[in-house]
Amino acid sequence: MKRFIKKIYFICLAFILIYGTAVKAQPPTAMEKQVKAVFLFNFTQFTEWPANAFSSPEAPLVIGILGDDPFGKYIDEVIAGEKANNHPLVVKRYSSEEDIKNCHVLFINISESNKQKQVLSGLKNEGILTISDQSTFLKQGGMIRFFTKDNKIQFQINPDAVKSDNLIISSKLLRLASIYKSDKK
Amino acid sequence: MRFKDLPIQKKLMRYILLISGIVLLVTCGSYFVYEYFTFRETTMQKLSTIGKVIAANSTAALAFDNSADAEEILLALKTEPHIIAASLYNEKGQLFSTYPAGLPADKFPVRPTWDGYLFLHSNLEGFEPVIQGNKRLGTLYLRSDLKEMNERLRLFGIIATMVLAVSFLLAYSLSRILQKKISKPILDLASIAQMISGHHDYSVRATKSGNDEMGSLTDAFNQMLAQIDEQNKALNAFNQNLEQMVQERTLELETVNKELESFSYSISHDLRAPVRAIHGYMNIFSEEYGRQVDEEGKRLIQMILTNGYKMGRLIDDLLAFSKLGRKELLKTKVSMHEIVSGCWNELYKEEKDRNVEFMLKTLPEAYAERSTIQQVWINLISNALKYTKNKPVVVIEISGEEKSGEIVYSIKDNGSGFDMEYYSKLFGVFQRLHSQEEFEGTGVGLAIVQRVLEKHGGKIWAEGKVDEGAVFYFSLPAIKQ
Repeated sequence: MKRFIKKIYFICLAFILIYGTAVKAQPPTAMEKQVKAVFLFNFTQFTEWPANAFSSPEAPLVIGILGDDPFGKYIDEVIAGEKANNHPLVVKRYSSEEDIKNCHVLFINISESNKQKQVLSGLKNEGILTISDQSTFLKQGGMIRFFTKDNKIQFQINPDAVKSDNLIISSKLLRLASIYKSDKK
Repeated sequence: MRFKDLPIQKKLMRYILLISGIVLLVTCGSYFVYEYFTFRETTMQKLSTIGKVIAANSTAALAFDNSADAEEILLALKTEPHIIAASLYNEKGQLFSTYPAGLPADKFPVRPTWDGYLFLHSNLEGFEPVIQGNKRLGTLYLRSDLKEMNERLRLFGIIATMVLAVSFLLAYSLSRILQKKISKPILDLASIAQMISGHHDYSVRATKSGNDEMGSLTDAFNQMLAQIDEQNKALNAFNQNLEQMVQERTLELETVNKELESFSYSISHDLRAPVRAIHGYMNIFSEEYGRQVDEEGKRLIQMILTNGYKMGRLIDDLLAFSKLGRKELLKTKVSMHEIVSGCWNELYKEEKDRNVEFMLKTLPEAYAERSTIQQVWINLISNALKYTKNKPVVVIEISGEEKSGEIVYSIKDNGSGFDMEYYSKLFGVFQRLHSQEEFEGTGVGLAIVQRVLEKHGGKIWAEGKVDEGAVFYFSLPAIKQ
């Protein structure tokens, strides 16, 4: 009986994910870009990095974007002059994962699933908060995934992935997120 | 009744109750004020704390624009029933979410206006900034009613009233007992003082209650009593002594007086015979040998006769005067009116040619010896006639009236009068205010009058003015009914 319910649950989940991808397939609107940029900024406010993640208390907090930049100028506008726990915010755009250094938040925009998986496994234990739009992102070990529901942009968090990277996401943020539970457990 | 006139017990009670009442009121009042301000402060702090917690919890909701979550967070305020409204505003100051769910938006401030809390109307309300890191994400608005505070103050009021009532009752019953400790010695002392002044018994002593001020007052009171007692005894002894002395002196004086009286009587009596003899023999001499002497001889004979006559009269008067001291009075009820009319007719008969207006008012009857009172009137009326001799128009008025236990008679003339300066000599024996040439007389008349009246228990006095007349008054005791 329990298995049956679990099966239904997974079917539903798959449906949602497919539906979400379908939505994602449409080109993002300016409004959507703006909101995501703000969310990206806000994640820096509700996340704690281990002390050794920064070379000094005033060292910049780097928000990296891997792949195509979906935010354009919005992200730069949002973080202009802002700080997270006294660390000035900086945006860096990376074209390949080899360039990633001293990064704290990384938005991964790679549509190909295998590539994404490879990138994610390479970033493990680097203390980087990984974020993406991709539906398979959390399953492959990503931390936060954006999705749209009821015409509102929401996010899903994979707490296990966050925890294993020694990051602490504020419970307040967790309240707002839907929680992803890996089926490994 | 004025407070001043209240008995000391009531005064003490009132003072005690007044003092304890004021003290209780002030105490309760200050506690009330303290409680009021403390509670205001506490309420404000509590609201501020709640505000801070809610604000901290709502950072993510505001940051991620999740008003549903914000509402859920605000819903936690359910546990604080006195918070009647709460709302969140976003960074731009727009209403973001509200609590409670049913309350319309116009019940909330349109936009946040100030940070901090204020007592407004009967509510406590204020705005709490929602800050994440150092970024202000929005504002929390909270409104709390003061029911809790009012409830608590009401409870305090009830307790204070009860405490006041019980304390006041306690103060009343305690003061009823304790005031006696103070008032009783005073009242005891007062009653003893009253008893002493009522019975004049100065041998009584007050009992001392203790060694306080009342004790020393009692001591002083007793000392005073002892002094009064002592002084009274001394005074009594002195009085007795004095009385004895007076009696002795009076006796001595009486003896001397009697001796003097009998002496003057016997002198007058013994002198009368030789003077009569001189006068009688001189008369015979004048009749027998009057023609044989020359004019100068006749003049001398006449001189001897006149002076002998005068001396005879003088001795007669003196005798009458000294007789008065020796005789007992035979008092009867006498008609003064009749006596005065009789005397006047008798005396005026001899001076019919004079123009005298005589006015006699109705006179009260008197209880006196007829013959001596008649003498009084004769002396007074003849004086009045004598001293008006030089006046062309003479008015003599006699009146009398009874007042306050005595009858006062008066005789008024418009004659030559007298100088009040010599008043003291008026009633002395052989004392005269006029010369023999002016008005003849022996100077015994008024002395006799005074003597008679004194014997009757009466008095004589006079008023006069030179050349304007005199009034003589005399009093006799009123007839006892």
